[in-house]
Amino acid sequence: MGAQMAKRITLGTIAARLALVCVVIFAVFPVIWTLLNSFKEVVDIVTPTPKLFFSPTLENFQYVFERPSVRLGLTNSGIVVFSSVVIGALFGIPAAYALAHMKSRMGEEIKFFVLSLRFLPPVAVAIPLMSIYLDLGLYDTRLSLTLTYVLLTLSTIIWLSIPAFERVPTNIEEAARLDGYGPYAVFFLVALPVAGPSLFGAIIFSFILVWNEFLIALMLTTSEAKTLPIVASEFTLLGRNVPWGILNASVIVLSIPPLIFLGVLSGFLNRMFKK
Amino acid sequence: MLKTSITTVGGLLMATSLTTAAYAQVCTEDLKILAQPRGSLTLLEDRVAEFEEISGVSFKIDFLNENDRRAKSRAEASTTGRYNVYYIDEANIALFAENEWIVPLREHFPDEYNFEDFDPSRITVGSYDGNVYFAPIQGGGDFLYYRKDLLEAAGITPPTTLEELKVAIAALHDPANNVYGFALRGGRGSGANVWRWMTYFRGFGGEWFDGDTPAFNSEAAIKATETYLELFEYSPPGTSTGSWTEVTEAFNSGQVALIVESSPLAGLTEDPTSSAVAGMVGYTVPPSPLTGGGYGHGLAIGARANPDEASRDCAGLFIGWATSQDQEMQRLEQGIFGDLNRQSVFASDEFSAKYSDNIATALEETADVTAVNFWPNADWPDLGDRWGIILEELIVGSRTDIPAALDELEEYANDLIARR
Amino acid sequence: MKAKSHINKVFLGPPLLVLAILALVPTIAAIVISFQNKELGRRGTSFVGFDNYISLFSDRRFSNAMKVSLQWEAITVIGTMVVAVLVAILLFETTRGRTRAILSTLLIIPVLLPRVTAAFVWKFMFNPLLGVINYPIKELTGKPIEFLSNIETALLSVAVVDIWQWGLFFAVILLKLLETLPKEPFEAARIDKARTWEIYAYVAIPMLAAPLISLTFVKMVESLRSFDLIYVMTRGGPGIVTETLDMYAFSQGFVESGRISYASAMAVLMLLTTIITFTVIFKWVRKWQNA
Repeated sequence: MGAQMAKRITLGTIAARLALVCVVIFAVFPVIWTLLNSFKEVVDIVTPTPKLFFSPTLENFQYVFERPSVRLGLTNSGIVVFSSVVIGALFGIPAAYALAHMKSRMGEEIKFFVLSLRFLPPVAVAIPLMSIYLDLGLYDTRLSLTLTYVLLTLSTIIWLSIPAFERVPTNIEEAARLDGYGPYAVFFLVALPVAGPSLFGAIIFSFILVWNEFLIALMLTTSEAKTLPIVASEFTLLGRNVPWGILNASVIVLSIPPLIFLGVLSGFLNRMFKK
Repeated sequence: MLKTSITTVGGLLMATSLTTAAYAQVCTEDLKILAQPRGSLTLLEDRVAEFEEISGVSFKIDFLNENDRRAKSRAEASTTGRYNVYYIDEANIALFAENEWIVPLREHFPDEYNFEDFDPSRITVGSYDGNVYFAPIQGGGDFLYYRKDLLEAAGITPPTTLEELKVAIAALHDPANNVYGFALRGGRGSGANVWRWMTYFRGFGGEWFDGDTPAFNSEAAIKATETYLELFEYSPPGTSTGSWTEVTEAFNSGQVALIVESSPLAGLTEDPTSSAVAGMVGYTVPPSPLTGGGYGHGLAIGARANPDEASRDCAGLFIGWATSQDQEMQRLEQGIFGDLNRQSVFASDEFSAKYSDNIATALEETADVTAVNFWPNADWPDLGDRWGIILEELIVGSRTDIPAALDELEEYANDLIARR
Repeated sequence: MKAKSHINKVFLGPPLLVLAILALVPTIAAIVISFQNKELGRRGTSFVGFDNYISLFSDRRFSNAMKVSLQWEAITVIGTMVVAVLVAILLFETTRGRTRAILSTLLIIPVLLPRVTAAFVWKFMFNPLLGVINYPIKELTGKPIEFLSNIETALLSVAVVDIWQWGLFFAVILLKLLETLPKEPFEAARIDKARTWEIYAYVAIPMLAAPLISLTFVKMVESLRSFDLIYVMTRGGPGIVTETLDMYAFSQGFVESGRISYASAMAVLMLLTTIITFTVIFKWVRKWQNA
């Protein structure tokens, strides 16, 4: 139907096209502008007229990667995010499988409990945990941060994996059972491979969620276990004593991992909303 | 023998090799430093190898902006305390010393770095309860900076009183031509808007406390706030939520006719690579009755991260090296005027060659009006920051009742005392 | 059947236990701490009953923070849904095939960015001196707009970033949902000479009412996570006009003072409010959708 409308070129369609262009600019310009600035020297940034053409420099990125704090942040983020996502997936995917097959009221209540964890304000989790971790001597460690992030990854992976298992046709599972597969074999050999791609999407989604997480990390770390978002925020808030190009470069570095998975997530959305 | 030959290259080499022998065992682990960005500290990062040679270890500096450095170092020191060296200032030295988050510096500061060479006023700021806690990185008082060209063109002489200042500001204010009469810090913080406001408050005779009883809710505070808001009408865009960075940038880009600010601005203003007004600025003491905001920042030894004498000596060695005469001469060469603290450096030929008599004279004169404006107490950051937020609200116009604002602060102060 | 209940126990038991511990321990601790007078950097802690809660009710910044949080919820939820619907319809009407797929992918870039990045990117663009948004404004009016330090525009400017991230993301989801709708009602309406906007207002939107309500619910929950944006862009300023509840709790616990217990009391009130509100809304929505 959209196609039929487009054939008649009217004032309305021109306006619509124009609006579309504006939307696309609104969506991507901020990112492109930051990317450009990250390759600029300060003199090309502090110009009265914004500069589109300039001789690019890699100095900003070099500076960012040479900072010990960035390296530590990168290591911490890598370890904490990887561990919490793996733990979340190991526990969460089987749980989602079980929940997808529970049609009882109990099942509904458990699903709601998992969802309701997302209602918890992050401050309400971070403040008491800070006090607990301090008492246990675990404050500002990767272990305590990983543990806290499992709460996020586990609930997200469960919640997003339930629909993936629900879409596995029941007759395939039934056929496997008739062939003499036990319940575990059905899960590992039938359901898991069929739901695989969607599950991968769910895992990536939880990865991005914790990679980007800020408030909890800000409250639960002070120096040793600082993650990359915290280090980047410190950069961006330094004030103008630090060249602007470096600030732009630091947020670009922070944003690369989530953007790598753009394609995966786009595919995940397509599967989630296909009838 | 060493001291006399230290200026010669040979002596320097010998000194280095001797200190290497003496300190190689002192340091066992790389040092962690929490600081705010300063030209002098960036300079240190370029010379890591030199420190490695004398100590056997390296160091890593985590930088935070001034407000965050204050907040985060407090949260960090009260919980984990993992930094070997903290960047401390006049406002939180009481808090850190009272809680024993830092240790007295003097006995760990190596003799060859000659502590007595620091300007005595800096040492006073770095002391609390009879002990010296930090070695100065920067410090000073206030100047009235004025644009000689603009004042001359308008036939105005540099104001010496607040009344004259107000007249001059109003006369020179011309936003249509991108010239603002004055510039003030509006952004929250005991070291930001409150820092500048205090010079009016104390100048009008205000007192913070009478013993344990808050005494600031007075005519002086009301008058100071009214004056501050009145002068803010002439302050350029970006300053109502800005601080040092925003006001000094506005001044150095030529948008401001007059400004009262801390003395390090002089170095930035005279640096043609960062300033459009180099050579066009005059310096004098703040107009009466304003007091100068006496301040000092420096490096102190963390208590928790350095549990034994040896590790404290190591942190002390770092502080000594980082604040040495040699480092200050480097700063002078690079034009980092704000970070000079040693009498020998101020007296050097290089200093007088680089900075005109004008600055040197102003430096001497301003020392007389420099005062401790804040409440020297461990609870000061808490109280000052609270006033900072209320003052910012008044400046941006989301509240207008000044007496009510002061009442609120007084209630907070009473609560603060009660909780102690 | 027995085997099935066995696998359920094995698969569900450990994860639920982990979740219960990770959620309950901090919740209980928050409640306990809120009845104490714990402060960072001060030794000695004792129980003070409801003192913290009582002080909260006379704390002007707390009531301000509640007001700001509600404003934030309203602006970002409504803004996101309006942008999502309009952009989804625009894409559905003007694009197809490959172009549509590429544009859909581009529109989900903002939501993938860390909030810290998004906040910095826009803060830099709003900058009165260097910002690319202020450049044309300065050329036209000779004066920059101080988006983030003006009490009228600060909250809205931060909300723009949230809507930039979520509105465009939801637009893509809505577009996929529009694609799943049957074509007949659209054609029937077109034969009746309905205008484009009438087709959407009276046919498409009502057909999508259920997912639209679910999306609104998701956004209400996600809008609680405003902290990163406000922390990087305004710190609650100018004054306290963008100080939301989480910002104020953070500032009381970590920045201005170390009043962990006071901040905890705020956190407990937030927790109760959000859990009750969202549970009621969720149950209501589910009932409505099942009816």
